[in-house]
Order: sequence, then C-alpha cells, then structure tokens
Amino acid sequence: MGSFDWGAVWYAVPYMLRGTVVTLEISAWAMVLASVVGIVMGLISASDLGVLKVFIRAYVYFVRGTPALVQIFLVYFALPRIGLELSSFWSGVVALAFNSAGFIAEIVRAGLQSIDAGQTEAALSIGMTNRQSIMFILLPQSLRRITPPMTNEVITLVKSSSLLSVISITELTRSAQLIIAERFVPFELYAELAVFYLVMISILSWFSEFVEKRLA
Amino acid sequence: MSDAPPAGDAPLLQIHALSKIFGQIPVVDRIDLRVMQSEIVMIIGPSGAGKSTLLRCVNRIETPSEGDILLEGVNMAGEMRNGKLVPDRATVTARKRRRIGMVFQRFNLFAHLSALDNVAIGPRRVLGMKLSEARALAAEQLARVKLSDHMAKKPAQLSGGQQQRVAIARAMAMRPVLMLFDEPTSALDPELVGEVLEVIRALAEDGMTMLVVTHEMQFCREVGTRVLFMDSGRVLEDAPPKNFFGAPQHVRAKEFLRRIHAVPETDALA
Repeated sequence: MGSFDWGAVWYAVPYMLRGTVVTLEISAWAMVLASVVGIVMGLISASDLGVLKVFIRAYVYFVRGTPALVQIFLVYFALPRIGLELSSFWSGVVALAFNSAGFIAEIVRAGLQSIDAGQTEAALSIGMTNRQSIMFILLPQSLRRITPPMTNEVITLVKSSSLLSVISITELTRSAQLIIAERFVPFELYAELAVFYLVMISILSWFSEFVEKRLA
Repeated sequence: MSDAPPAGDAPLLQIHALSKIFGQIPVVDRIDLRVMQSEIVMIIGPSGAGKSTLLRCVNRIETPSEGDILLEGVNMAGEMRNGKLVPDRATVTARKRRRIGMVFQRFNLFAHLSALDNVAIGPRRVLGMKLSEARALAAEQLARVKLSDHMAKKPAQLSGGQQQRVAIARAMAMRPVLMLFDEPTSALDPELVGEVLEVIRALAEDGMTMLVVTHEMQFCREVGTRVLFMDSGRVLEDAPPKNFFGAPQHVRAKEFLRRIHAVPETDALA
C-alpha cells in the first residue's frame, strides 16, 4: 500500500474552499427557488383546486420516479430548447430546484393534511374560505411538523449538488476531480472531499436543530 | 339581538326534505323543520340517529344529498335562477356560513392561537376588522363567558370547560343569527359540564336561536322550548319539553327515555 499524499491534500484546500463556496451558493439559490415553488404546490395540493392538483401530482410522480442525475441532464439540455440560455451555474440551480420542489411539495402537503380535520371544520364554521383556513389555521400549525423533513431535504439537496459536476460547474466535487486529473491522487482527494461534505452537512444539521428548538 | 330581524312570523330557519346519504344509508332522512326566532330546539336520540349530521348539514360542513335549507329566507346551497338552483361558489358559501355559529363536541380550538386570538381571528380575517378592534371584540366576548383571566393562554393550558367556553365566544364573535351546538358537553369531565351549560343557558335567555344536540336531559327540559327526538335519520317527535318528557308518544322515544332513566318508572307503577 502506497503512502498517503498529504501534500496533495494541502495543495487542494484553497481550490476546494472555492468549490465549497460555489456549492453553498448553488444550494442556497436552489433551496430558495424550490421552497417557493414547492410550498405553493403543496398548498395547492391540500386545497380544492382540482386541475392544478392533477398537474402537481404528475410533476411529483416524475420527480420521484426519475434519478436526479437524469433530471439534471434533462433540464440542462431542455432549457436552451425553450429559449432559455442560462449559464451552467443557473442551469444547475434550476435543475436542483426542479428536483427538490417536488419533494418539498409532498412535505408541505403531508404536513397540512396531518392537522386534525376538526381545525378545518372550525375554520369553515366561522366563515373562513378554504384558502383562509389553510393560510391562517393549518399552515402555522404544520410548520413545526414540516421542519424536520425540510432539514432532510436541504441536506439531500446539498449532497445532490455534487451531481452538477457533470454539467461542468466547478462546485466542490468538480474542484476535487480537477485536482485528481492533475495529480492522480484519487483516494486522498475523495477522502478529503468526504470530509468537506461532512463538515458542511454537520453545520447545517446543527443550525436546523437550533431552528427546530426555536419553533418548539 | 339580531341586526336583521325576520319580518313577522317568517321562520328563521327552514329545512325542507333534507337527506344526507352516506353510501346507501340515509343518515338524515327527509327531514322538515321550521325554527322561529329565539327558539331553543333540543335534539336528542340514540347515537347514530343523525343528529350531528343534521346540524352539520345546516351550515354545510356536510353537503346535503337532497333538500333545501333556508336561513332568513336565503338558500344555503345557492341561488334560484329561472326556477333552477345555481350552486354557490365556495366563497359565497363561506359568506353565508358566517350567519351560523357552531360549537363542536371536541371544542376544535385553533391549537396555535391564544384564547383571545381564537376569538379574534374570525372578526379579523373574515370580517376584515383591524387587529385592535377584533381583539377588543374578542375580549368582550371572553368576558361574557367569564374567561377574562385566561385570554393569553393557549388551548392546551385550558380545562375542557374553559376551552368550550372559548369556542362559544369564538362563534358568538361573528354575531350569528343561529347557533348550532353539537354535543357541547359530551367530551367534558362531569364537574365541568355545568359551567358550559350555564353559558348556553345565558345565550338562550338573551334570545339567541339555537339547535342543541345533547344528552343532558335536565338541561334539555329546563332550557329547551322544543324537543326533537330523532332515530334512524327521522324526526319521530317534535314537542315542548314538558309534553315530550311527560308523555312521550312514539314507542322508540319511550324506550330511549327509559334507557337513560329520564322518566320515573311510571310503567312499573301503572
């Protein structure tokens, strides 16, 4: 067994820090976009808007039933065809959000539907519309239940962003791969990569635990 | 009390040939009912008689299968155009529901809101009052049910009796012309039943029109102006409490009263 090339590991650190920043930027933008779209879709799924619900169900069916990698390629090659010439960074954001929004929609829908039916009946009985009952009664109560699965979703999204290396975005994974190609040290660099992701995800988990406690 | 008193002797609530069918079973079966302003209608009967479903059809939390419900002459289901009923859109149904207050067996207070905001949220969000006005109105309503000291508490911090009184205040804050009580004391510990019945009695004395599904026979006798006995989705008796409890006509009513020991053992003596 050969020796561990610490030199390559130290050499890679600044490049990988830069990649980390890109990963975080992409993930943050994708999460914002996915949350907005996903929450709206989840609210619609729990309401009485029939036609839109069918569309959303089809969307969720597709996102759940296909690999994220395939979705990334699809979005990357589909966007130019519908006249959207985005940089690879923004294509990546859209692709990740496309995937995550489907799962967030399901999380929100399940959260809303887990609230006791008596709450909706009481809301209707004082003259609220369905929409008001969702916004003012069901949504605030489901926030706490939604937080843990949303945390999981953020973590999944950050990890999935490594797939964006295939559309040549130099995020964390690709910055490691570039150095592997240059120095032929795959084991050292993938080990280092794993540590980078672990640290990132750990910080995210601590943060979300903090948020959960604040909501409780 | 109402801001739009019905003219003359027109009934406040008219129910005509109302049915609710679940699967094949008519839970409510062709019920006709006319309720005048300030009547206190007690609805009793064995479980599964369709009492709750009847109430839930009145404010359309349950959609009736057949029949009409008119509140102050307004059809709760829709609008007549050229002799045909055009169903209301959901927002119109919501507006019509404001006129009817409902109190549930399991209170159904909004779990994330304080007692004050449970009462204020209707005036605020449905009637569009300013938050300060809505809260002032809510405080007033909570004072009427003697809960001024508990306004900041969440439902989980209140006893069942207190929760149900908040629920009554919540319904009253919408200034309804009709109140529906769906077994308001059935989920309460026995020692908490009295305080809730007191509040309902006070509303009755103020002239509020109400339909009350209840198993409290004493209360029924004292406060009701009218008793409906239901079984298998039908109204089998409709009489003043004195007549009903004194001399029930229908054999099933007699059976029911005997089973809950609401009549002295006259049969044994006879």
